[in-house]
Amino acid sequence: MSIAIEPGAGAPAATAPQAGAIKVTMILSGAVFTLMMVFGLIMRAAQGQWIELDPALFYQILTAHGAGMVGTAALSGAAILWYFSGRHVVLTAGIFWAFLCLFLLGVVLILGAIFIGGFGGAWTFLFPLPALSGGAWEAGAAAAFMLGYVAIGVGFLLYYLELGRQIHARYGSLVRALGWNLILGREDDNPPPPTIVAAAAVTIFNSIGIILGAAVLIASLVHLLVPGFEVNALLAKNLIYFFGHVFINASIYMAVTAVYEILPEYTGRPWKSNRVFALAWNAVLIFVMAVYWHHLLQDVVMPPWMLVVGQLVSYFSGIPLIAVTAFSTFLYVRGSKMTWDLTSSLLVLSVAGWSVGSIPASIDGMISVNKVMHNTMWVPGHFHTYLLLGEVAMAFGFMAWLVRGKTISEMGTLDRAAFGTYLAGAAGFVTVFLFSGAASIPRRWAVHYEEWLTHDRIGTVFSVLVVLATLVFVVRFVTRLGRNED
Amino acid sequence: MKMMGLTVLAIAEAVALRGGTIESPIQHVLVQMPLLALAGMVGVHELRIRQYWAIPFLLLALTTFLFWMLPRNVDWALTPAGELAKYISLPLLLGLPLRLCWPRLGPILRGFLKANALSMLGVLGFLYTHAPIRICNSYLVSAQQDLGFAFLYLAAALACLWALPVLFGYPRWLPDAAAGCIKCGA
Repeated sequence: MSIAIEPGAGAPAATAPQAGAIKVTMILSGAVFTLMMVFGLIMRAAQGQWIELDPALFYQILTAHGAGMVGTAALSGAAILWYFSGRHVVLTAGIFWAFLCLFLLGVVLILGAIFIGGFGGAWTFLFPLPALSGGAWEAGAAAAFMLGYVAIGVGFLLYYLELGRQIHARYGSLVRALGWNLILGREDDNPPPPTIVAAAAVTIFNSIGIILGAAVLIASLVHLLVPGFEVNALLAKNLIYFFGHVFINASIYMAVTAVYEILPEYTGRPWKSNRVFALAWNAVLIFVMAVYWHHLLQDVVMPPWMLVVGQLVSYFSGIPLIAVTAFSTFLYVRGSKMTWDLTSSLLVLSVAGWSVGSIPASIDGMISVNKVMHNTMWVPGHFHTYLLLGEVAMAFGFMAWLVRGKTISEMGTLDRAAFGTYLAGAAGFVTVFLFSGAASIPRRWAVHYEEWLTHDRIGTVFSVLVVLATLVFVVRFVTRLGRNED
Repeated sequence: MKMMGLTVLAIAEAVALRGGTIESPIQHVLVQMPLLALAGMVGVHELRIRQYWAIPFLLLALTTFLFWMLPRNVDWALTPAGELAKYISLPLLLGLPLRLCWPRLGPILRGFLKANALSMLGVLGFLYTHAPIRICNSYLVSAQQDLGFAFLYLAAALACLWALPVLFGYPRWLPDAAAGCIKCGA
């Protein structure tokens, strides 16, 4: 079955703001996602002792995989948000290109730091590890890694300044764009659409995260180059995890706008902002910043009330997501007789994966559980769930939509096989991680005991499926880019 | 004329603080130095420059700012030669060019400079509160730590000052000119 999309049916008139820049960004994102997945496959195969990998190289690949995946998730999320925000506000193309150039500069510095300088201190650059390499890398390599982050941070800052400026110009204030008029029951002749509500929230919390992240990066750089300048380690850890937590969450909150803007084309029901939706996003704005303490539950010197807040907000932060986006998606899809092509399948999967991924996250956010599980495979299990089955699926769904044309058709054989392979591979891959965590297998270890190899090898097989399906998605996207719209 | 009066007042207050600057780095770095820069800003409040001067003036202001951020220069500013340099350079090479170039800068660049100022205040707070050595030889370690916390409080205050109008919109009771003033960050 196939149907033709007519303007005005469901979604806003399908304009294509800065589509060229967005397509270039998505090509880059797809290529880096694939490469980083191959890195992940290599690590799992090495842990399973199917291939030999020098432990020093393992930690370099681990660092590249972490930084590369977080960066690419953010890049693809930013491209999606920029594209759909462009339907509601006029954005300056030059700022996006500057953002992309700074991002690529950062990537070059980071890759150089890792594969030329030998930096292997993980993507979290946790103080004082970059300065205490034990001879594995020089201070210059760690400095190049952090300068790469600074370049990416500056790029994102420009991005949010432009986004925030245009939203402010259009709506008069960010709180109006956050839907406060809807919340307070005031009349608003121009209520913000869901994409703008999301854009306003992400602009606020990620700008704060980037400014604080820049402070700790520069302080760490000063310490690296002038070791006499000490940094308060606990404060540095707080700032790093605030920045890191907010940044990776922002990538999903940016990418979810693809669900708000694209799914209505399939369901025929426009996704509109209402009081509950606005309340949920305002709650997200607070929760995403207040929950980062759940990363520090093993730091016994932290004030206890902060850890308690971290645990409580971990419970609460799932509610706006599950109650609004996931539940709304279910309602929109239910009874809509929508056509299941690659785009709609991946987008619905992404909402489901994101929601499911929040459950192991909430479990790990409990102090009593975290004491046992924090340094196990449980943690990569939960974040791979909401990234692989959440953000990355949103990005692939958006890519499929960009080259879909005006006609919606049921999935062909290849699409169906690729989607099924991706779903089976990703679900199996994260399940193995969670089982490994429950079996107390530690994370971030290059060399595994004999008893753990079965887990690693099953995980490796599933990761091969993920890589294969991803290759199909990316190659399909690139080959269809040049085609005329049907 | 009113602006010239304010300039003289700012310089007079800065001079009157001479004694306090020897005792407290907060009075020196966060009161006297900003007053001197403010004197330069207020003195040229009505003047306008051509667009092509904006970036050179900005670079001049930033260079001067960076020079006086260095702790050894804060020490030097308490010597007679350094004091003279401070009284001349902060109004003329920081306040004046910053005020003249600011309205000519694009909104993204202004936003970037503000965000960068907040980050750098955070970095200074980081360093001054935890440095195991005296960064400025003229001040006690305890005074240095106080200065570090003052940097953090200032960062928080400026973040609120700059973010509130963006979050909640510009107050309607402000005249247009004042709103423009907030928008340009003056």
